Amino acid sequence: MYKFKPATERIIKMHQLIRDRVIQTDAERALITTESYKRNEHVLPMIKRPRAIYDVCANMTVRVEDFEIIVGNRSKNFCGSGVEPEWEGEGWIPSMIENGIWTLQDDGLYHNPEGEELKLAISPEDVEALGSIRDYWKDRTITTTANAWQPEGYDELCKLEVCANAPGAPLMMMTAGHLTPGFQKIINVGYGAIRKEALDFMDTHRNNLMGDDLNKYMFYNAASIVCDAAVIMIQRYSEACLEKAKVCQDETRRDELLKMADGLLWISKNPARNFWEACQAVIMYQLFLALESKYPACSFGRFDQYTWPFLKADLEAKRLTMDEAQEIVDAFFLKSNCFYGAAPEFVAQITGIGNTYQHTTVGGIDPETGEDATNPVTYMALETIGRLKLHDPTISLRVNKNTPDKLWECALETSKLVGGLPLFQNDEIIIPGLMKELGFSLEDARNYALIGCQEITGSGNDYSACNGIAPPYASIHYGVVLNMAINNGVNAFNGQKCSVKKGYLYEMKSFEEVKEAFKAVASYITKAQVSINNYTEYLTTQYAPLAGLSISMEGCMESGKDATWGGCKYNSYGGTATGLATVADSLNTIKYMVFDKKLCTARELYDAVMANWEGFEDLRQQILHEVPHYGNADPYADEQMRWVCDTYYDICQQCYSTRTRHFKAGLYSASDHVFQGYHTWATPDGRKTGEALADATSPAQGRDINGPTAVCTSACCYDQSKFMDGLALNIRIHPSALSRDDGVEKLRDMTKTYLNNGGMEIQYNVVSTETMRAAQADPQSYRDLVVRIAGYSAYFVELNADCQNDIIRRTENTL
Amino acid sequence: MMKESDLTGKVYDIQGFSVQDGPGIRTTVFLKGCPLRCPWCHSPESQSFASQLSWMAMRCIGVEKCGKCLTACKKGAITVGESTESIGTGEKIKLVHVNRSLCDDCGDCTKACYPGGLSICGEDYQVDDLLKRLCRDIPFYKQSGGGVTVSGGEALSQPEFILALLKGLKEQGVHTALDTTGFTDFKNIVAVLPYVDLFLYDLKHMDSQQHKKVIGVPNERILENAKKIARAGGKLQIRIPIIPSFNDSEENLRLTGEFCKALGDAVTLVQILPYHNMGVAKYLRISDDPKIFETEPPTEEKIQNLKEILESFVLKVTVH
Repeated sequence: MYKFKPATERIIKMHQLIRDRVIQTDAERALITTESYKRNEHVLPMIKRPRAIYDVCANMTVRVEDFEIIVGNRSKNFCGSGVEPEWEGEGWIPSMIENGIWTLQDDGLYHNPEGEELKLAISPEDVEALGSIRDYWKDRTITTTANAWQPEGYDELCKLEVCANAPGAPLMMMTAGHLTPGFQKIINVGYGAIRKEALDFMDTHRNNLMGDDLNKYMFYNAASIVCDAAVIMIQRYSEACLEKAKVCQDETRRDELLKMADGLLWISKNPARNFWEACQAVIMYQLFLALESKYPACSFGRFDQYTWPFLKADLEAKRLTMDEAQEIVDAFFLKSNCFYGAAPEFVAQITGIGNTYQHTTVGGIDPETGEDATNPVTYMALETIGRLKLHDPTISLRVNKNTPDKLWECALETSKLVGGLPLFQNDEIIIPGLMKELGFSLEDARNYALIGCQEITGSGNDYSACNGIAPPYASIHYGVVLNMAINNGVNAFNGQKCSVKKGYLYEMKSFEEVKEAFKAVASYITKAQVSINNYTEYLTTQYAPLAGLSISMEGCMESGKDATWGGCKYNSYGGTATGLATVADSLNTIKYMVFDKKLCTARELYDAVMANWEGFEDLRQQILHEVPHYGNADPYADEQMRWVCDTYYDICQQCYSTRTRHFKAGLYSASDHVFQGYHTWATPDGRKTGEALADATSPAQGRDINGPTAVCTSACCYDQSKFMDGLALNIRIHPSALSRDDGVEKLRDMTKTYLNNGGMEIQYNVVSTETMRAAQADPQSYRDLVVRIAGYSAYFVELNADCQNDIIRRTENTL
Repeated sequence: MMKESDLTGKVYDIQGFSVQDGPGIRTTVFLKGCPLRCPWCHSPESQSFASQLSWMAMRCIGVEKCGKCLTACKKGAITVGESTESIGTGEKIKLVHVNRSLCDDCGDCTKACYPGGLSICGEDYQVDDLLKRLCRDIPFYKQSGGGVTVSGGEALSQPEFILALLKGLKEQGVHTALDTTGFTDFKNIVAVLPYVDLFLYDLKHMDSQQHKKVIGVPNERILENAKKIARAGGKLQIRIPIIPSFNDSEENLRLTGEFCKALGDAVTLVQILPYHNMGVAKYLRISDDPKIFETEPPTEEKIQNLKEILESFVLKVTVH
């Protein structure tokens, strides 16, 4: 059995500090950015944005804590948070104070209300400073620019509340992200060489900008500025280490700080020379991206693959021991946890408290040879997650037919400790899928990584924009779509009318007619949302180009094109559907009850749904217990799931933008199935208004009653390899099923069978209902209990009650 | 003569991803009816050979909203019962009450009970239909070295049916295990022997008088059958339920160990199954006046001690 080892004292200390953190927001980045924007008021965004990040990097506080071996801080305080005024002006916190929601406490800071899970604070001085920039940004943020005008049709889409776009919600409120930056390039090439490439073009084209040269010149100019910004930031961290060393009494620590100072100075311009420098350089670039523009879901990619050559060399030269390397990996993942920023309660709940979406991929195969590429860092990443019980970053383990048994064991032992981690990703489905669906080369497909919840991307060469271009995201609420399809285009939840009207359920003469109605509304709504996405992309190219990201992405420096303009080697974007099992079960219900078995009339079923089942409890119970449901290896029920998934995929195939022909289908969500449920009217499968939809591609909660092998069989009823935006299958296992020595082997074999049969991804919660009920009653004693909701893992006690209950309602697979 | 595939058997449960009834990932099919009456039985619904009405109060949504069973029952066996709080919604509801003396397990009420509070325990399966269901998970069996376990009740009490079932499974190349009390005519065992890869074989007490006193039947036939299986080349996984103050004496375990050792290579594993009281709630589902046996589960220390005794006979021993 794989055994986890204890972490070092300073790692445990850092972990505690992160676990007990109160995230203090400050105005530093906001003020520096504002001053920079004022100085460059009329300079184009393409140049203005890099100049602002340069000013931030050159002036903001740099910190080195006593317990740190990997440094980097995104604000004045340890585990603090900043504000991006170019997007959000003074941010959301000042209004909380004005409205008396945050209150001044004895420590002299304003705090958010006590009941909220996420602990936040701000000093009165910072509130005042943020107030001072409010007027400047009033009509100048990217968000206000985007909100000033929208294409026709946007209004209808918002009012319907059938996707993330909603009346009053911003069209675009954050930069694009959801990809894997080119960390390999940063550690293997370095900023110095990238900068030189940019300057070379600028030098040779000075006063000679013909044709497309101008676009390139603008891009390379931006690229050179962001390289300068990264260099100065890293050098300032080097200086901070030196300063610390000067006053350090402990000789060992002093030497360590001097070594860190030397390493930082080196990697500010050059490729990394050893394992520590590689890890530190990755963190520095991630920090730089966080400061440049709060990219959501910038993932670490194949961490074990790009760092192992450095560790291997270190070990061979006896410069580093395995234990020292493990401490560096611990420090790396703890540091990445420090990048979690302050967010309003509802956003924190939707996206998951403490979730940075810096998804990390380990395992898999070598891109050139195709051989299994497991290495010691693969285990180290799992060791860190397991021994520190970290729910973030999400770890995906890529598995294939040659994955060593020892790694399977280590991974499943991790799953037992940390709910849902790692995610198991199937090389044998995803690699051919990327080639078939997105035109990846074999080598690049073999090098895929996971991002965000579990979306699939290339490694540092793919502007994948999974789940859409920018928040709010491209998820369509297909439960609402179904409601409109059987209700003549009206969303029963809010009475709003869709322009596609296909009649009422009771007017439909055949089941085919019902499916046609769903398809028509789904097609209209999906295309409407993608149209808005395409408009957002247009705005992004104008107002929010991504020079800081583009310098590392394969294709951009080569072509002189920013990533948002299509500079990357691969381009795509995606949407996501969650809870299609609820739609499938609903279609099954209509087919079974009305058309096949004629157990009720369409009118009765329609009336029951529209009455939210009030007065129809017996009909609801009959549906719950008699209608076949997806997830039970019943071909009758699974047929509708396959149809819904295929239909959704076909619609996505008809969507595209100027940058890319590929709009990918995905079957996942963070925890959106709970929040979509809040405003999805009752569905024919017996679900009531407000209840959660099924999560991701999992069966509806509690409807799978034939064990996990039946779920796995059902989940292969549709061709998963078409869903290259990723998918998630959640299965909950009672710990007693794994209590015996061979329990883990059996779970491994079940996983392997599922993957061999066409499964792409699976993740396990090994937790009992009793434990979760106990945690609800006594949160303090269960602070370390980690569960996976759908697209992220979280501390159970930090989830809101509905999310907690959602997991409890899922089928518990025992013996 | 009836075709084998048309034979029917009474099944009360089919459990997928069953990981404690033999090697690998298995599906366990539970057949109804048992000649033994172990007081600690955790599957009381397995004892009777007939289908029985099962009543799970927690699923009832109350007579206020439903109450269909009250009129569905033509025997007058279902009446309005006590008030309680609904587990699902927390509302006050009135449950129904099943009067067992009037109930003949006809199942009319279950057809009206959509929430599934009332159900019939024991369903007739044709061999072919059951095979289809069991073979669905063949990929999982193959990957894990698992298969199908036929359990009970006492599965050998339906000898023709399980013979056809086991034959069918072997034709599909499925690994088979038979979970048995061993209390049957040896001719039934001989018939299935070629189609059983592994017997999960219960030994409850080495003293026949004690055996008869508590369980209702003596143990000679059980012990004799085990020896015969071993001689015929069958493989045995011995299972010993540890029931405090019945069979948990060191002496009984020593005798059991000796017996197992004498069976030689046939014994692949000895499993200790410590008593647990999770079956208690199930008694209330099938009877108004259940004879519930309840005792404290044995301590871990005790189990460890008994395990060591068995191991002293050079046996491979695991605890469930």
